[in-house]
Amino acid sequence: MKTKLRNLPLQVKMMGITLSVNLLVFMINIVLLFSINSMADKIDTVYRANLELNELSSSIKAVQDNMTEFLNTKTSDALEDYYKSAQEFEEKVEDLDSSVSEKALDRMQRSIKNMSYIYLNEVEQTIEAKRGRNVEKYRERYDEASKLYGYINTYIYSLNNEQFKENSENYRGLVTSFKRFETAGNLIMIVVIFANALLILKLTEQLIRPLRNLKGVADEVAKGNFQIASLPVEAEDEIGVVTKAFNKMVVSIQDYIEKMRKSAETERALKEKELKMEAHLKDAQLKYLQAQINPHFLFNTLNAGAQLAMMEGADRTYEYVQVMAEFFRYNVKKGEKTVTIGEELELVDNYIYILNVRFSGEIHYEKEIDSSLLNVPMPAMILQPIIENCVNHGIRDMMGEGKIKMSVYRLDDVACICIEDNGIGMDKETIEHLMNGTPISSSKKSSNGIGMDNVMARLKLFVGSEDVMSVESEGENKGSKFRIYLDIKETDDV
Amino acid sequence: MKKVRGYLNSIIIWAITGVLVCLTGLLIFFFISYSKTLRETEQKESYDKYYAMISTDSKSSFWQSLYKSTFEAGKEKNAYVDMISENLSKEYSETELMEIAIASGVDGIIVEANESEEMTEAIHKAYEMGIPVVTLNTDNRKSERISFVGISNYELGSEYGKLVLSMATSKPFPDESIKVVVLVDANADDLGQNILFSAMQETIENASKVIVKPIEMSMFLVDESSNFSVEESVRNMFIENRNDLPDIVVCLNEIDTTSVYQTVVEYNNVGLVNILGYYDSEAIIKGIERNVIYATISIDANQMGEYCIDALSEYWEFGNTSQYFVADVSVINSSNVSTYREEEENEDKAP
Repeated sequence: MKTKLRNLPLQVKMMGITLSVNLLVFMINIVLLFSINSMADKIDTVYRANLELNELSSSIKAVQDNMTEFLNTKTSDALEDYYKSAQEFEEKVEDLDSSVSEKALDRMQRSIKNMSYIYLNEVEQTIEAKRGRNVEKYRERYDEASKLYGYINTYIYSLNNEQFKENSENYRGLVTSFKRFETAGNLIMIVVIFANALLILKLTEQLIRPLRNLKGVADEVAKGNFQIASLPVEAEDEIGVVTKAFNKMVVSIQDYIEKMRKSAETERALKEKELKMEAHLKDAQLKYLQAQINPHFLFNTLNAGAQLAMMEGADRTYEYVQVMAEFFRYNVKKGEKTVTIGEELELVDNYIYILNVRFSGEIHYEKEIDSSLLNVPMPAMILQPIIENCVNHGIRDMMGEGKIKMSVYRLDDVACICIEDNGIGMDKETIEHLMNGTPISSSKKSSNGIGMDNVMARLKLFVGSEDVMSVESEGENKGSKFRIYLDIKETDDV
Repeated sequence: MKKVRGYLNSIIIWAITGVLVCLTGLLIFFFISYSKTLRETEQKESYDKYYAMISTDSKSSFWQSLYKSTFEAGKEKNAYVDMISENLSKEYSETELMEIAIASGVDGIIVEANESEEMTEAIHKAYEMGIPVVTLNTDNRKSERISFVGISNYELGSEYGKLVLSMATSKPFPDESIKVVVLVDANADDLGQNILFSAMQETIENASKVIVKPIEMSMFLVDESSNFSVEESVRNMFIENRNDLPDIVVCLNEIDTTSVYQTVVEYNNVGLVNILGYYDSEAIIKGIERNVIYATISIDANQMGEYCIDALSEYWEFGNTSQYFVADVSVINSSNVSTYREEEENEDKAP
């Protein structure tokens, strides 16, 4: 029963509340009205009795008058009137109360009734005597009747008076109780109105409570907290349906989030795997390269070649092999260390020498060095790849004499290393590539493993700032200019 | 927590609904009981018998108390006693009231009778109509009344005689002889008063040896035929006999007593004129307390009332009843007035 009631639609529930409340007010109203009505009736009856008595009085007067008229004139009209009025009076007398009670009114009514019968009898006898021309008798009877008439009239008059007195008292009492009832009624109505308001408040609160709960939980969900207990469904009404839907929604959102999280995780794992693969590949490549050129082996071999050349008296060959050995040794020794500008310049010298031997002195190499800056530290293997880049991309493909100018100078408290070539130069795109440190696809093959992107990255790491190198080119065949800016700080080990 | 709140909420709702329903119920109950009381006041308690009581001076406290006791006694026998002159707006004579009572078809009449012809006739009329008549306090011996309820005039006379004697022996009287005047009703039949008077005389004569001074007894006729005449008569007596006032005035009814008392006080004759009263109205008792009235005869009104109802009930039950009911009399004077008062007060409190 209770659950059935609970499952009613909201509209019906609201209607039920208002209906029941109104019904209550209506009922109380009906009771009040009914009481007031019955009281009004009571007041009405108070005066009805007086009216009846007055009628009785006029009725007996008619009897007496008609009798007198008949005695005076003896007309049949008067007789007829008399009979009529007597009949009427008798009927009225019939209605009178004949009980003996505490109330003087009842007792007087009884007396009037009895007297009236005797009176009517007396009148009858008077009429009979008159018709029988018994003068003495009808006179006697008439006197008797008149006396009774007087008594009855006094009684009616007194009764009327008594009744009026009592009625006035009754009326006063009624009015007082009427007023009291009115006050009580008003009071009760006020109480009922307040109680009803409270009732509606409470009932609607009960109706709305699930909605409030829903709102609270929805707020929680909006804040991102999905770890909430599902809302209890109190009834199968609209709110219940919404609550159910909400619960379902929260669960599905949770599911969805879980799914997303899982797929993200798998993707990440996949990527990690890929990265690992790449790293392994690089490692393999490196291993392969290392295997190809074991610097120590190369260095020792070259040293042996140099000694052989010396023994054979080939000085130039000896020098060449010697320089080559130096070059490789630097690679082996300083590969991952911080060096000075001087050491880097030495390596560049060696490299240029080797290249010039290789390409039979095609490259003109100029140096303009501020020797006070030779001890400025910098990462190893920086200048050589730039020179290599200049040679490979700038000079090799040009016609005529290639020139490379290396200058080291002081710019305030920054040491600037500038490398210029007069090669084919670079377009803007290439410069941008260089500056961003993205590897240029073609450079990979021809370099000895260290690309410009690597140089750039290491320089940036070393200096700790982005403005570490600038690349300029004034256009095609106008050469290019690399500038490296290094903080001047003396190192201890130099 | 939420469950608790919800529980509390529903409790509140049920409570409010309960209160409202109770209120409605209460209202209905209140209304029903109210209309019931209205109806109850309408409801009549019916009586088997309806007796009429008729007296000329129905307003006097003596007759009021007689009526009250008769009424109470009647109620016990389920009979209603009505002082019919009370509710009427017009003054009627006793015989007229008798006629009214007869025409009203009452079941019995209790009347303060007199020995007049009209009264006898009226009682006869009632007898013819089958209505029993009881004469109360005063009788009509020639009539067909079923009973007389009253006091014995002889007894009363001897009581008064004793009182006169006690006064004569205890009080100093300045004159040669002690003058005693008995106020008698001029219209009443002589017999009852004569019996009383002679009983008084007899009592006094029997004690003549004790008396120091001779006692002169006389009657004074008081006109009681019309209203207000008593007071005038009494006053006349005092004016006419200004130089020869009686030493002792014996009153044989309440109005006489009160009138004499008032006159004595007004004419400053307290102490000169001694009053022997009749009946124990508040005014008379006060007179005794103030030593204006020497003594009064108290009649047991309750007893008389009961006798009236007894007579009528017996008549209706057995067809006849005893002709005479004699009520007790007692004397109230300054020595026992306080105890009398106490008793009276106790009686008033008792119901």
